[in-house]
Amino acid sequence: MEKEKHKILVVDDELDMRVYISTVLETSGYRAVVTKNGKEGVETAVKINPDLIVLDVMMPGEGGVLMYRTLKTDPKLKKIPVVMLSAVKKEIFFHYLKMLNVKMENNISEPEAYLEKPPDHEDLLKVIKILLK
Amino acid sequence: MCDQILLVDDEEGICKILSISLQDSGYEVFTACSGEDALEIYFKKKPPIVLTDIKMPGMDGIELLRRIKQENPETEVIMITGHGDMNLAIKSLKHEATDFVTKPINDDVLEIALKRAKERILMRRQLREYTENLERLVEEKTRKLLDAERMAAVGETVSGLAHAIKNIAGSLKGGVFVLDKGLELDNKQYLREGWRMVKGNVDKIRNLSMDLLNYGKSTEIRCQISDPNQPPQEVFKLIEPQAKEHGIILEAKLDPNLEPFLFDSEGIYRCVLTICSNALDSFRAASLMTENGDPIERMKEEKRVVIESRKTENWAVEYRISDTGAGMTEKVRDKIFQSFFSTKGAEGTGIGLMMAQKIIKQHHGSIEVESELGKGATFIIRLPKNPNPL
Ligand SMILES: Nc1ncnc2c1ncn2[C@@H]1O[C@H](COP(=O)(O)OP(=O)(O)O)[C@@H](O)[C@H]1O
Repeated sequence: MEKEKHKILVVDDELDMRVYISTVLETSGYRAVVTKNGKEGVETAVKINPDLIVLDVMMPGEGGVLMYRTLKTDPKLKKIPVVMLSAVKKEIFFHYLKMLNVKMENNISEPEAYLEKPPDHEDLLKVIKILLK
Repeated sequence: MCDQILLVDDEEGICKILSISLQDSGYEVFTACSGEDALEIYFKKKPPIVLTDIKMPGMDGIELLRRIKQENPETEVIMITGHGDMNLAIKSLKHEATDFVTKPINDDVLEIALKRAKERILMRRQLREYTENLERLVEEKTRKLLDAERMAAVGETVSGLAHAIKNIAGSLKGGVFVLDKGLELDNKQYLREGWRMVKGNVDKIRNLSMDLLNYGKSTEIRCQISDPNQPPQEVFKLIEPQAKEHGIILEAKLDPNLEPFLFDSEGIYRCVLTICSNALDSFRAASLMTENGDPIERMKEEKRVVIESRKTENWAVEYRISDTGAGMTEKVRDKIFQSFFSTKGAEGTGIGLMMAQKIIKQHHGSIEVESELGKGATFIIRLPKNPNPL
């Protein structure tokens, strides 16, 4: 029997992105679980304890950012590496994150990886491979 | 130029003496001994200053003054009056004579009157130059401002577009990847999904370019006498299958007694279509969720979209398009007419309502929305009988 596949949780509000990313993952030997918003995302993360999370931070409103905050402030979920996807450049996003930190007064760690959307499938796989080692 | 004087007096002696003294002071003098002669010379020479006796046989000084002022109100006319002509003098002032001097004419008094006339001429000329400059200045500034505004609008358009296109290109790339995997692995599901993605995004590109074409076209509306029920009827036919597919009841309540009037039928079709498509969208799963993924409770269970047309006071037609869908918060409602505002992520362009508003504005009509979260939305368009009230 082949060894247990890595479980990756994909959170994205766009159907096309979910299909694309899960296809990239499945065809490279991972098990993809998809959800379409931050709320479901957190619930699923708690339930299945994934090895990695691919999260679109730019979901409508602050859905993505809120989910990221929840993940990184939860003692159990905190350790799961997050690949963050976003339509904006990394610097802009981190600036945003910084402003959020000021509001909350407790530091949120940076995501383990950051990719601009739409991610190139090779880039995505490379990053995931490194994080899962 | 301001040194030409037309001198008018029926007493030849006075005429001669005065003209000599005026020539001595450096004026070019034309003389006339009647009002009629004077008018003739005036039309020929257009002197800036006229010096005329008030009492003359035939056309008197006051009539001459009136005619000259009628022709050119800026002409300085100085009246010559005799003793006891006070009433006439006052009357001449009412007709805007510059001044008057009394006979026998004192050279100093005349000189002062002439000097004042010349000053006024000069002042008027300067004022005119000044205002002309001012107008030019204002015009230039306005043009610059307009240019800047247009550039800003273009900038906004381009960056919004770049974003929309990047999104579509990304999804298209994703679709091709999934399709490729489907072919490679002979996986039917990947093939199906990939194909759907590619097709959907090609549609999106088409919609976007249509929107853009319309965006460019929108600067002018083409009005024709048309039936106001035609646009909603066509929209109804177009979207009916789509509504049915999603279990939405689509209803048209069109007033059969509406009279044809002047409006841009194609433009209004576009507006109604945009609003109806949005109404259908408001029932989609994604629309029925808040930013945090909480479900929005709909007040009415039934999925219904109603397109209405009717006559109201002061307007040729009022369209009402209402849905029982997700509705919107006040925050969203304040922004829906802005360009590129959309809550639909990659599915929306945020151009539709902005365009609709533009078209309605060009008709000098009005577009309004009433909506609350969970309580659906009603869009109201009103069009005037005449799109060009001027
Ligand atoms: N009937 C409606 N119900 C709820 N929201 C609506 C409705 N119509 C428009 N909206 C809101 O207005 C936004 C802007 O609409 P529009 O300019 O047509 O762009 P788009 O449809 O591409 O998003 C939509 O994204 C949506 O949030």
